[in-house]
Amino acid sequence: MSDVRTPLLSVNDLEVTFYVHGHAVSAVAGVSFEIMEGETLGLVGESGCGKSTTGKALMRIVEPSKGTVLLEGVDITKESGKSLRSARTRMQMIFQDPISSLNPRRRVKDIVAEPLDCWKTVTGLERDTLISDLLSKVGIDPSVYGNRYARQFSGGQCQRISIARSLAMRPKLLICDEMVSALDVSVQAQILNLLEDLKAEYGLTLLFIAHDLAVVKNVSDRVAVMYLGKICEIGPADTLYESPAHPYTEFLLGAALEADPDSPMHAQTLEGEPPSPMNPPSGCRFRTRCPNATQKCADVEPLPQEVAPNHMVSCHYPLTIHHQSTTRTPLEG
Amino acid sequence: MSDDKLLVVKDLTTTFATAGGDLAAVAGVSFDLERNETLGIVGESGSGKTVLSRTIMGLQPRVNTTVTGSSIIDGFEVVGASENEKRTIWGTEVAMVFQDPMTSLNPVMRIGKQIDEALRVRLGMNRKDAKARAIELLELVGIPSPVQRYNAYPGQLSGGMRQRVVIAIALACSPKLLMADEPTTGLDVTIQAQILNLLDELKERLEMSVILVTHDLGVVATRTSRIVVMYAGRIVETGTTRDVFYHHRMPYTRALLESSPKVSNKSHTRLITIPGRPPNLLNLSDGCSFAPRCKYATDQCHLVRPELQPSVEPGHSFACWNPLPVNAEATLP
Repeated sequence: MSDVRTPLLSVNDLEVTFYVHGHAVSAVAGVSFEIMEGETLGLVGESGCGKSTTGKALMRIVEPSKGTVLLEGVDITKESGKSLRSARTRMQMIFQDPISSLNPRRRVKDIVAEPLDCWKTVTGLERDTLISDLLSKVGIDPSVYGNRYARQFSGGQCQRISIARSLAMRPKLLICDEMVSALDVSVQAQILNLLEDLKAEYGLTLLFIAHDLAVVKNVSDRVAVMYLGKICEIGPADTLYESPAHPYTEFLLGAALEADPDSPMHAQTLEGEPPSPMNPPSGCRFRTRCPNATQKCADVEPLPQEVAPNHMVSCHYPLTIHHQSTTRTPLEG
Repeated sequence: MSDDKLLVVKDLTTTFATAGGDLAAVAGVSFDLERNETLGIVGESGSGKTVLSRTIMGLQPRVNTTVTGSSIIDGFEVVGASENEKRTIWGTEVAMVFQDPMTSLNPVMRIGKQIDEALRVRLGMNRKDAKARAIELLELVGIPSPVQRYNAYPGQLSGGMRQRVVIAIALACSPKLLMADEPTTGLDVTIQAQILNLLDELKERLEMSVILVTHDLGVVATRTSRIVVMYAGRIVETGTTRDVFYHHRMPYTRALLESSPKVSNKSHTRLITIPGRPPNLLNLSDGCSFAPRCKYATDQCHLVRPELQPSVEPGHSFACWNPLPVNAEATLP
């Protein structure tokens, strides 16, 4: 963890609106958060909540319709042309499907070298050394596998190559969009450990987007929970999981399955499905499924309020924060 | 005694003739299933769990596939039976819920008709009775306003709703055994909890047995009474769910459990990984398939394949030359 607590990325009121048959759909409806230098922010939510769109909007892979994205003080949403391209070298994205995010007919070393070749920052021998170094860092032997084609690799290896490619320009911020969800548990653990090692080595800051609550908990310092285009709760990973303040977070955690037959069964499951973002509910977006909802929730949109240090929740009736551990503590070895 | 079992699988082997040679996706698998029991089949991708579940009910591909051994469902020998003979048990004795609800439904056929089809073809119902029964089934699986939904197309339903429709089709002819192959993979956690609760509830209500095939240890932990762990086409450990989770003897089972991230872990918990990746089934050694990745492996492990042997608890067996000590529980992380 870094000592310097300055935000590397600060996102303010980000909105992304898509038009479907002329109807406006706000996939991201006013999201604000900061990521400190050297920190990992986990972004969780169910499919369709806008977590991937948020990640893409930061890179301007999709255009934000409103709001600002400050990376080291530079507003990405205002940049264009060359300055946008150069800003993008400071943040890189790793995608969900490792196999389709690499060109199957290109050689591994060329894939990793592409960002370097675009920017011509290093050439010749220096370039080759850098690529070999990157590949060995991610656990791919450059002398054996460097000349192979991407199609010859398994999903886990492809994800390693993607990581090497994303690190080639020495980015500050990595946006990992569901980067382990297509992998088997044993490979997933390898990639997560690799990510933690590289984060320490390269001093990276991460935005880790995933739907798997256990995976997010294992890598994140802070976690933000999204529902229908808005962040409903954001706070330190351990306290947020131990004592969620938003009813949605509580349901989400209750539905997460722990690989332990003795884990408590949560009798209450969330009924129904998220409403369509084309026609979101008035006021609080979760009110249609929330057991505690009142008329106030329909009339007034809840604003983020601090319920504990660094723990913000957007709810009129936040759950009480308790600090004694409710989760099963694992046996000490 | 054995007449009482719903399913008896003995030495079942499924071999595919591939360009690279014969590939035994399932190799000598034996287990049985009581009535009204839920069994979990767990393994990583390529471990043969899907091929096993399909072979059990005779759904393996027709070409380039050889099946030997025996799979007896309620007295009916599936292996060697003709398509016409197998059709007499499909639906009424055994039915399957496939992984992907997007592709297992016909996108241009109303969902009601897809449920009717089974009722009319298999049970010889007339149009009117079939429709009434289909609406009952939609209600049974928890689809709101079933009369209106009867006329919906799959594309008009969400993933969770589609999976409910697939379950309704599987239940149409009241099977005694329901096979669910990754029924919740690809669904959100809250929807996953709904579907698993539904399967549990239906199992009790309709007095079925369920085989839950999954890669997710969290899914089987609280939903099954027994577990079969597969690796490279073979059963490496089997026993009651509690025995497999807490008293496992096979190092692979331990490694699989250790490498899954847990919600109860502190943030930045380092995961214990399994080095390497699953073996290529085309050139398996004569020894234990897990030996190349196993830290306890000895020469014997590489040369001679261990057979399943009983552990101390009744019904718990494992295939390993150097099993973990009996009280392995104390050293769990």
